[in-house]
Amino acid sequence: MSGGTAKLPQGDAPAASWRGRRAFWLVPLLLLPVPALLNQYQQYVVNMMLMYVPVAVGFNLVVGNLGLLAFSNVAFFGIGAYTTGVLMLQAGLPWWMTIIPAGLMGAIAGCATSVPALRGVRSFYLAIMTLAFGELMRWVYIRWEPVTGGSMGMAVPAPDFLGWPLITEGRKFYVFLALALLVVIATDRLLRTRFGRAFLAIRSNEVAAAAMGIPTDRYIVLCFGWSGFAVGIGGAMYAALVGHLTPVSFDLTELLVEFAMIMVGGLGSLVGSVIGAVVITAAPQVFLDFPGFQELVFGVLIILVLLFLPNGLASLLARLHPGFRDRYHRE
Amino acid sequence: MAALLEVFEAMVRFGGLIAVNDVSLRVGAGEICALIGPNGAGKTTLFNAIAGYVPLNAGRILLHGTPIQDFAPHRIAAGGVRRTFQNGGLFGHLTALENVLVGLHTQVESGFFGVVLGSRRSGVAEATASARGRKLLDLMDLGHIADQPAHSLSGGQQRMVEIVRALATDPPLLLLDEPAVGLAPPMRQILGGVIRRLAEERGIGILLIEHAIELVMSISDRVIVLNYGRKVADGSPDEVRADRNVLEAYLGHA
Repeated sequence: MSGGTAKLPQGDAPAASWRGRRAFWLVPLLLLPVPALLNQYQQYVVNMMLMYVPVAVGFNLVVGNLGLLAFSNVAFFGIGAYTTGVLMLQAGLPWWMTIIPAGLMGAIAGCATSVPALRGVRSFYLAIMTLAFGELMRWVYIRWEPVTGGSMGMAVPAPDFLGWPLITEGRKFYVFLALALLVVIATDRLLRTRFGRAFLAIRSNEVAAAAMGIPTDRYIVLCFGWSGFAVGIGGAMYAALVGHLTPVSFDLTELLVEFAMIMVGGLGSLVGSVIGAVVITAAPQVFLDFPGFQELVFGVLIILVLLFLPNGLASLLARLHPGFRDRYHRE
Repeated sequence: MAALLEVFEAMVRFGGLIAVNDVSLRVGAGEICALIGPNGAGKTTLFNAIAGYVPLNAGRILLHGTPIQDFAPHRIAAGGVRRTFQNGGLFGHLTALENVLVGLHTQVESGFFGVVLGSRRSGVAEATASARGRKLLDLMDLGHIADQPAHSLSGGQQRMVEIVRALATDPPLLLLDEPAVGLAPPMRQILGGVIRRLAEERGIGILLIEHAIELVMSISDRVIVLNYGRKVADGSPDEVRADRNVLEAYLGHA
């Protein structure tokens, strides 16, 4: 095999991805001094961007890569957040010990959500059914008062990481950066291999995918499961970041914000998910001093991007330099 | 010894319509068997039944003597029955190479946790598959288009990539659904040569649906004629050409 890779033609994939991978590590390295440069509020906003990275990555995986119009993302997000909140408040666990359980609960919710898709529900019908799941979860947060605190919500105890209290936004930043990175790296690996190809094949033509020996049902469950895991971790981050969980935080507006992230970033693009999380979180902050004007500019921004860059900001980046192109991003 | 593929008295019913009625056939290793007949004769339905997309109402389908009529499509594909599609089943946004890699899916030995944790073994499995996919495309003189998206290829190239993809795992049986449709006559000839070589040199059993009758007659070992879901003729190209039933199927009663 080593002899085979040596004489591959120009622009060959292994070399390009290797170069891309080394450049990739520069991004988190350059971000390391960020807390020294920002005030607490600015740092809070940056942390929120990082929190939205796994949330957008998970959402984009199902909608962009698998091609299923599932709008249950906010349900996974809320389930992750409430899992963390409940485990900390009721079971007294430290925050860091709830990250994996939050991801796992999200994954279970993801697998459960894939059931209608397995039964052949598609497009708008799937969208409405999964939307209903999100609303159903909101009802659970409100009604299951002894556990969730009902519509008044619950206060999440102060988070810590392996005994290191996350008392400043700067401290949270490093933990969030690591978590966002882990989710991005793991998802990137998944997408580069036969798993990612199977997702795209299912999106393109399910019948043909099965004819290639791909157990499509299993891959749909897997995709939803990993999506739920990533988003659930985002939920755990949300609990640590905001410190207070209310059902209203996981409503349709939240879904629209997350949908805007993957649309503006670029459907099916991992880089796009990251860009979307950053841009959509940052956009309202830029116009903070102009109340009312904020929503207007935000809406116009989304419309402009979708009109002139239908494949999202990731496609713009790819046009500037081919090194930014996802190997698996397909417009 | 059991033949490669055996279909016994297969019947497929869609409501009141009997799409495939009491059809039996055998395809041996290295044999090209053509299915012809007018539109709506049940050819593609029979294909879909063999590939597992359409359940049989009666009858049996055996692959190497094992009944497969109750298997899911992906299991039948993994068991060595690969197919191409009438309207082009390539994944348009994937490159030619990635299409072939999807064809190799069952032979890429990378597990979920190995991939997510970045194990060396899964990296090697992926790189090996990639090298193999490029080699398979090179063998068909398609190496230069390996990294182009499938939708940007010409009709002929797409057809060839689809065949490479179907053959990537060295399946014993290949189902070709109208491979020559939309191809110019010279390209048809090339395609016919490729199909013939697959049977002769690699011993692949081929079941072929095709309307291009001169292509069918020139490459097939056996020709089966379907009409209204029934088998009306079964024999060598010359025998079928001389058969009265066939003329009636195509032209109606004289």
